[in-house]
Amino acid sequence: MLWKLAWRNIWRNKRRSLIVLVSIVIGMAALIFFDGFSNGMMQQMLSNQISSNISHIQIHKKGFNDNKIIKNILPDRQKVEQILKENAQVKFFSERVITFGLLSSASSSSGIYLYGIKPGAEEKISKIKTSIVEGNYLSDAKRDILIGKKLAEKLNVGLGDKVVAMANTPDGSIGSDVFRVTGIFETFSSEFDRSTIYISEQTAQNMLGIDNETLEFAMIIEDFKKVDEVKANLQLKLGDEYEVLSYKDLLPMIIFSMDIYQESMFIFNLIIGLALIFGIINTMLMSVFERINEFGVLMAMGMKNSRLFFMIVLEAFIIGIVGTIVGLIVGILIHIPLSHSGIDFSLFAEGLESFGVGAIIYPILSLGNLISMIFLIPFISVAGALYPAYRAIKLEPVYAINYV
Amino acid sequence: MEILRAEKLEKIYEDNGVPVHAVRGIDLKINKGDYTVIAGPSGSGKTTLLNLLGALDKPTSGKIFFENEDITTKTKSELSQIRLNKLGFIFQAYNLIPVLTALENIEFSMMLLNIPEKERKEKALNLMDELGIKELANKRPNEMSGGQQQRVAVTRAIVNNPSIVLADEPTANLDSETAGNLLSLMEKMNSDKNITFIFSSHDQQVIERAKKLIILKDGKIQN
Repeated sequence: MLWKLAWRNIWRNKRRSLIVLVSIVIGMAALIFFDGFSNGMMQQMLSNQISSNISHIQIHKKGFNDNKIIKNILPDRQKVEQILKENAQVKFFSERVITFGLLSSASSSSGIYLYGIKPGAEEKISKIKTSIVEGNYLSDAKRDILIGKKLAEKLNVGLGDKVVAMANTPDGSIGSDVFRVTGIFETFSSEFDRSTIYISEQTAQNMLGIDNETLEFAMIIEDFKKVDEVKANLQLKLGDEYEVLSYKDLLPMIIFSMDIYQESMFIFNLIIGLALIFGIINTMLMSVFERINEFGVLMAMGMKNSRLFFMIVLEAFIIGIVGTIVGLIVGILIHIPLSHSGIDFSLFAEGLESFGVGAIIYPILSLGNLISMIFLIPFISVAGALYPAYRAIKLEPVYAINYV
Repeated sequence: MEILRAEKLEKIYEDNGVPVHAVRGIDLKINKGDYTVIAGPSGSGKTTLLNLLGALDKPTSGKIFFENEDITTKTKSELSQIRLNKLGFIFQAYNLIPVLTALENIEFSMMLLNIPEKERKEKALNLMDELGIKELANKRPNEMSGGQQQRVAVTRAIVNNPSIVLADEPTANLDSETAGNLLSLMEKMNSDKNITFIFSSHDQQVIERAKKLIILKDGKIQN
């Protein structure tokens, strides 16, 4: 009966209750949208980086990541290959020769990261093949080169045009070769597209004078949630001569951003929560002051303070629950189509691409945040009713009955 | 049999910082089955005395014994329990809960005593039938006349079989015919069920029907 009374009390002043409910619904829907959008952007940024060239785990000679010079070739590539083949968690792997260099066309030149790859193996661990927007993917042919779209624009070259790549060899001399543009790729990162070229590993080895040597093994594992476990296992087997780095080590800024995002979600929730709590306090106080006389009658009838307190808190709780359910439905109804179609940020594409995010962001809801939101709003509603309920039970029956 | 006794009852309250001596050294005794009217002009202290006897307010000094137990030393919670189990109230403005129907208003008193829903519904309907207001069961207060509301309020006040029903100016908002009918109803309950009634009123109809009359003036009993 107390529930029935609380429910009917809410609708005594329909307009006021609806305003609070709408504010809760908007708050809840905004939280769902913002969480989905932010989470989607972070996940997209991470997934783009992993699939462009970072992969899940990389293996180098110790010190390579801090000093990416050609001298840091892997001590024993056969050993690494064997260990990777024996590890059931490693799904695909490929090797890469990586160095800094210079790429020149007839009209211009630009500093580049040179990737010597095995085309067949590379396409299983990165999305470089599917990022080709003009021409073809790399073959083992000696003169083939893939360059990023931004780099092609900078050097003013197109398919079939001649470019010259130059880089230091381990002995300090300059190795160079001439290539013809086979394909132009465009990834989600404009920075990557502006600074990366791919040639076959063998061509790179020949050009740099490191026959049969390589600098990096990159891999995709079966369950990326086990990345720390796999990394530790590989490090143990390879020993101290090698560095085994997960995407978390290689993308510290993105991981940091994701942590910051979690913090910012907390702050965002807090702001929305504070706005709601004051709205609820205000509404419940008005509701209590309107019913002082009635509370006096209830006290005269012998209603205990605890029950009166519960009844007022219950009214706020019901508002919170109804607002949460409707807000959840509205938020999810907004989220579902956007999670399929994505949110088009073409106007800001340049800025987003420099962060490694595509122009279209696909919202992703995190279950943990969603569950915390579901509990947060009713909790806030109850918290907002505590003070008004306290004021109500502090009334003296005789004062309340005669209150006009 | 004595049910309520007041000894040297005093009540001083402050009104805008000014002390008001509303009740001055009252001694009185109410017996089981009494039909008592506290009468007097406005400001004589009728309502203050009724509130003290009804455990709604605490005296400044003096004692009130309810069923031989001093209630002036009781806590708020204990007084609440006494009101719930032993007392019924009828107010001038009826004071039904506006969002509940007549039946639910009557049931509400029993809900506070944790009586199961089925039992309280049955008891409420039986009592409404007995008092001739069963047809009002599903009506909300704003759908009833003043007289109908007050009959529901009376039913609500007696549904838990209280020892005493305290009625503060119960006929003040009613026309004389309706007031007469309501008073007849309460008289009948007093005689049939031996329910003790204490009224505060300056309505002549109420005063005329009193079996025991206490006249107050300036916070003191005159008769």
